[in-house]
Amino acid sequence: MDPANSTLGKILLDEITPVVMVLRTPLVEESSQKNQLSFIQLLSPFCNFNNIDVPVRTASDQPYRLKKFKLRLFYASDIRQPNIEVAKERLNQVITDAGEKDLSKLCSEPFQIETVLNSSQNEFLPSWFQYFNKELVRTVSFSEHEAFDHPVTCLLAVSSRDEDPINKFVDLFNTNQLPSLLNDGAMDPKILKHFVLVHDDEEIPLERATKTLAEMRSTFGANCCHLLCINSSKDGSEEHENLWAAYKTDISDGQPLRSFLSSDDVDELKKFIQDLSSKHIIPHMEQKIRLLNQQVSATRKGFRNQIKNLWWRKGKDDAPENPAGPTYTFSSIESQIRVLGDYAFMLHDYELALSNYRLLSTDFKLDKAWKHYAGVQEMMGLTYFMLDQSRKDGEYCMENSFTTYLKIGLSGQRNATRCGLWWVEMLKARDQYKEAASVYFRISGEEPLHSAVMLEQASYCYLFSTPPMLRKYGFHLVLSGDLYKKCDQIKHAIRTYKGALSVFKGTTWRHIRDHVHFHLGKWYGFLGIFDVAIKNMMEVLACGHQSKTTQELFLKDFLQIIQQTGKTYEVPKLQLPIINIPSVKVMYEDHRTYASQAAIHVKESLWRSLEEDMIPTLSSKSNWLELQSKILPKKFKESNICVAGEAIGIAIEFKNPLQIPVSISGVSLICEHSPAVSEPNANNSTGDQNGETSNKSATSGNFTSDTSSFTLSEADVALGESETVLVQLTVTPRAEGTLKIVGIRWKLSGSLAGFCTFDSDLVRKKVVKGNRKSKRSPIDNLKFLVIKSLPKLEGIIHPLPETVYVGDLRCIALELQNPSKIPVKKLKMKVSPPRFLQIGRKEDLEAQFPTCLERKSSRQSSLRSKTDIVSDDIFLFPEDTTVVDGAPISCPLWLRAAAPGKLSLYLSVFYEMGDTSSVMTYRTLRLHFNIEVLPSLDVSFQISPRPSRLREFLVRMDVINRSSSKGFQVHQLSSIGNEWEISLLEPTKVLPSDFLRAGHAISWFLKLKNCRSVTDQDSASSLCPPEKADVNLLSGSEMLFDIYSSPLSEFHHYERVHQRISDQEHEDTVDFILVSRSQKTILFVSFYSVRTSNPIWWIMDGPQTIKHDFKDTFCAIPLRMIVHNSSDDVLSIRCKPSGSAVNMSSSGNASASSGNEVGWHDLSLSNDIKVTSDIPGTRVVKPLSSDTVPAFIWSASSSTHFILEPLSSRETPLEISVFSPGTFDLSNYTLHWSRSSQSDHGDESRASSGTCQGHPFYITVLQQD
Amino acid sequence: MIVCVAVVGHQNNPLYIQSFTEADDVLKLHHIVHCSLDVVDERVNNPKKSSPTLNETFLGLLYPTENYKVYGYLTNTKVKLILVTTDLDVRDADVRNFFRKFHAAYVDAVSNPFHVPGKKITSRTFAERVSTIVKSFGLSSAS
Repeated sequence: MDPANSTLGKILLDEITPVVMVLRTPLVEESSQKNQLSFIQLLSPFCNFNNIDVPVRTASDQPYRLKKFKLRLFYASDIRQPNIEVAKERLNQVITDAGEKDLSKLCSEPFQIETVLNSSQNEFLPSWFQYFNKELVRTVSFSEHEAFDHPVTCLLAVSSRDEDPINKFVDLFNTNQLPSLLNDGAMDPKILKHFVLVHDDEEIPLERATKTLAEMRSTFGANCCHLLCINSSKDGSEEHENLWAAYKTDISDGQPLRSFLSSDDVDELKKFIQDLSSKHIIPHMEQKIRLLNQQVSATRKGFRNQIKNLWWRKGKDDAPENPAGPTYTFSSIESQIRVLGDYAFMLHDYELALSNYRLLSTDFKLDKAWKHYAGVQEMMGLTYFMLDQSRKDGEYCMENSFTTYLKIGLSGQRNATRCGLWWVEMLKARDQYKEAASVYFRISGEEPLHSAVMLEQASYCYLFSTPPMLRKYGFHLVLSGDLYKKCDQIKHAIRTYKGALSVFKGTTWRHIRDHVHFHLGKWYGFLGIFDVAIKNMMEVLACGHQSKTTQELFLKDFLQIIQQTGKTYEVPKLQLPIINIPSVKVMYEDHRTYASQAAIHVKESLWRSLEEDMIPTLSSKSNWLELQSKILPKKFKESNICVAGEAIGIAIEFKNPLQIPVSISGVSLICEHSPAVSEPNANNSTGDQNGETSNKSATSGNFTSDTSSFTLSEADVALGESETVLVQLTVTPRAEGTLKIVGIRWKLSGSLAGFCTFDSDLVRKKVVKGNRKSKRSPIDNLKFLVIKSLPKLEGIIHPLPETVYVGDLRCIALELQNPSKIPVKKLKMKVSPPRFLQIGRKEDLEAQFPTCLERKSSRQSSLRSKTDIVSDDIFLFPEDTTVVDGAPISCPLWLRAAAPGKLSLYLSVFYEMGDTSSVMTYRTLRLHFNIEVLPSLDVSFQISPRPSRLREFLVRMDVINRSSSKGFQVHQLSSIGNEWEISLLEPTKVLPSDFLRAGHAISWFLKLKNCRSVTDQDSASSLCPPEKADVNLLSGSEMLFDIYSSPLSEFHHYERVHQRISDQEHEDTVDFILVSRSQKTILFVSFYSVRTSNPIWWIMDGPQTIKHDFKDTFCAIPLRMIVHNSSDDVLSIRCKPSGSAVNMSSSGNASASSGNEVGWHDLSLSNDIKVTSDIPGTRVVKPLSSDTVPAFIWSASSSTHFILEPLSSRETPLEISVFSPGTFDLSNYTLHWSRSSQSDHGDESRASSGTCQGHPFYITVLQQD
Repeated sequence: MIVCVAVVGHQNNPLYIQSFTEADDVLKLHHIVHCSLDVVDERVNNPKKSSPTLNETFLGLLYPTENYKVYGYLTNTKVKLILVTTDLDVRDADVRNFFRKFHAAYVDAVSNPFHVPGKKITSRTFAERVSTIVKSFGLSSAS
């Protein structure tokens, strides 16, 4: 790339050009101002030559042609170092103006990072940077240590209207207005002068002007005088707008420029400047270059001169150090070399310039003239660049210059900035953006505003570097934005932050992103652009990851902005609080109605299984077709059905992500309602309608207009730190049609309205109730078909206890009410589970409890329930029951808390509409309630057969009060069934007080007798009067409860079902009912089922003590065994003494009657040794192990086999032979029983055979003396 | 003194960033760590520079800012470990040693079966371990 065409090249060709000092009289200016241009502005358009094509010959003999050339015109008064303060002011103005200009872009969305990357540098970079940089460079113009700003020529202009023009010319140059550069010796005061007589055609005749020109020529020389005619156009209508457009910055645009310049005038101006350049300035410069070059060659070139120079400079080392460096006057050789270099540079002879700069830089370095040195280094860098060679050297020179400028302190600061800017351009021209960025970073000095601009430029360098360094781009933009903000350049700050946002938008670096969003929001708020401010602020609202103080700050500032807007602001997708859309639950009632919230949350399958038998049309296809297809338009077949006037509930979760409490108010649903469509053909139109309205809602969320057809509930929620709150909202449709729930709206802190739509794809709605159609799109779930109002039963249960104790039995009433005018009929009811809940009879409500359960004198009631076990069926209300117009009907229910824990009770009431014209013919009312059941009495039974009595048992009942505080009275224990008789072993009371206190335990010992017999099987009651089946355990109370009365018998039945005992009563189980009381009215009933052992009972009968003389013979003792069959089957029973007694029998007695039994003969001789022990004495209990020797054997027909009829007894004789005195335990026998085959039809769970170990029976044999 | 350590995931998402200064310069350190990723990317994507140290996990000094020095370390799974220190003369060996320990701690933290890969490391044990490593870094360089 040609360096001259690069940005830097253009800047240099623009900035480092010969300066023409202009001196003019006020009248010249006045004439010029007629065209609204200053004199310089008038000339400026012609000073820029793109193709001047002048041959130039500098130091070498070879001429070359100069193409580009430019003159810079300055008034003498402007040729001085600019005032720092004024310059600063002007720069600030530049920045402010630039900020104002971009106002329209300010509110636009930040770019996507992809578009930023794809956009070219020119369109993305703000254009004012170049202008700013230029202005910044100009703040250090006309410095003493550089020669390229020193005027080359002086242009003196006098108007032809001036009196005595010749003297004016002399006066102009002689006054003290000349720049200090000329006066204080920094440059040669002998400057090339050019005299111009400006002739204003309007007022002075041309003849007078030409006369004056002749005078001038004679005075100043023929060559350097010129006559310039302007304003020759009389009417001032000439248009030359394009020529001056770039130069008249102070004139407002758009205003047509009145010009008195004719085209001849313009041509003349052009020719004048061209002549001035090519015939005067360039030859003058050539001449000077040659002259200076000769001098420099003479004094400095060559070996001798160099040595001399070195030595001479060395000697100056001792001179005191001047902080500003030594001063060089125009006559010093250093100044002359510098002028030579700069002139050569301006005439594009870079080789010559470079050689001179090199020469000079060593001189300055030796002199420690750092500012001069830096200036020369800078020029060297630029020359290298223009020569496009040795890039490294160029950069080195620039860096050297930059650091040297910085080294000399504050005065070099701005020079350093200029040098840096050029350096940056040099790097940019070579695509070294990354390095350029770091140079920009170094330029940013103390002045915060300038630093901001530099940092911003640095950031763009990072962006344009390859590969782009986006993070650094963002970071530097943020840094720059902060500095802009510090200087109150909010618009610039916003611009930079917006750029940064495009980097941070998609990242997970939330700390940084929040910072950017927050400040953007705040700044937009300052500017009063509230909508954008709020949009940015909203991004940071849900900042749960930030610290608490930050969250508070964010929220406070946000609310402040909202307040400043002075109105409620509506925003979609407000992040505070977070709405958990998947959590949305919809509750509505079609034919299923619910008595309470609790009932809604019960699983639909549970209800369905409960209602299975009650609802007739549920599965009937014909009914469905008939009803639905006729009345509902096809489109809405898939919709949910709801009834006008009945609320649809939505439960939705609000989550506060912050650690600070947040209050939201006015939470309500957004719904849209469209009236009913009569003909199904209109499907399309309604579809369109819906589409339109839903579009509206998505944008505004303002849907209050249509409130006539439905009413909405409002809720206020206060969310604590990180709290999640479930909000219940309802919408109640008032008119028929379709209702769609679109979304939800709320107000944050009273001023910010947020809304959120349930987008169909977002909602994973849980339909609480199962739908009849299994397949449906989710969007339809929030769409309801509203049908006309129907009666709806309301049901409550009272009194409903919250906690009860185990066994608590009480009567509660279900009260049904129909607030509507339309009657309902055909009521049916079902309850579940029957173990806990029973439907009572109508008269139960009036009856006094618990006295109604007391035993009546009549027998019938107690017998009734025996056969009248309630099947778990539907309870039908009487045919004529209709509920209408608020009149309640009651239905009694019995509640028994059977088990500790939480009881869930379900009731379902089915009813049909009195008015058959409606879409729904029936509805169901579902009730559900929970009762906490606390533990009360814990009862355990131990039953053991009474050895001394046949068919009698000893019962030990342990009662522990497990409740925490309550005391109980144990009132009554009853056994169920007619064949059992129970009584206390001892009639005395054990209980010190009537109440069993919490944690106490007590035991009773009872006697249980089976009085079942064959003869009395059918009329068992006559054998065993019911009084004997009950035991009153409470002193002072003779009242007994009838355990066969309703509902006790029903509960007993279901208890048995629950415990998986077959309905059929077994002979081997006994059920007890324990009735206990706490307060007067509360009755506790517990059921216990105890399994008694076997179908057979037996006792051994015989003498307890026998005296016998063992000297004669062994002692044979006859015994009796009475066996009773208590089962309904014929049993085959075999009595079998244990094999351990065999050993003895083999040696002593071979009279084993049952020789067919092999076991009796199985013996081994080795055991005989043990057998011989016949030590007389008292052997107490012989343990029954194989290696001990029994002292007795079963003899005679001790193994017997017989058949026993049901419920009969038999006596069997037995005999034992005792060989020595002692006490013997005769339990070493077993009884085998098996049912005879004819009764095998019985249920299989019963054992068909079994073995019983013998009961202990002790016999003592003493030696008879 | 180490002022900040960070773990950055392979998609340049911050997994763990902890500063060890009293001053409120969290944001600044976030920015510095974030910017250093540019340099990491540059080193990784520029094979010419990294070819002699192809298998080297330690990336060395990423860039010196005004007051900080930033060192980087790249694991095999493209997880970046970043260290920001205020020390002016840091021995490379120290930094390497630090990163080796830091890496081990990171590996242990993500080996937790309850850690979700790609999510922020919330383990308290990891935080404690890192702060111990950071403290020991200061000690070893001082001695």
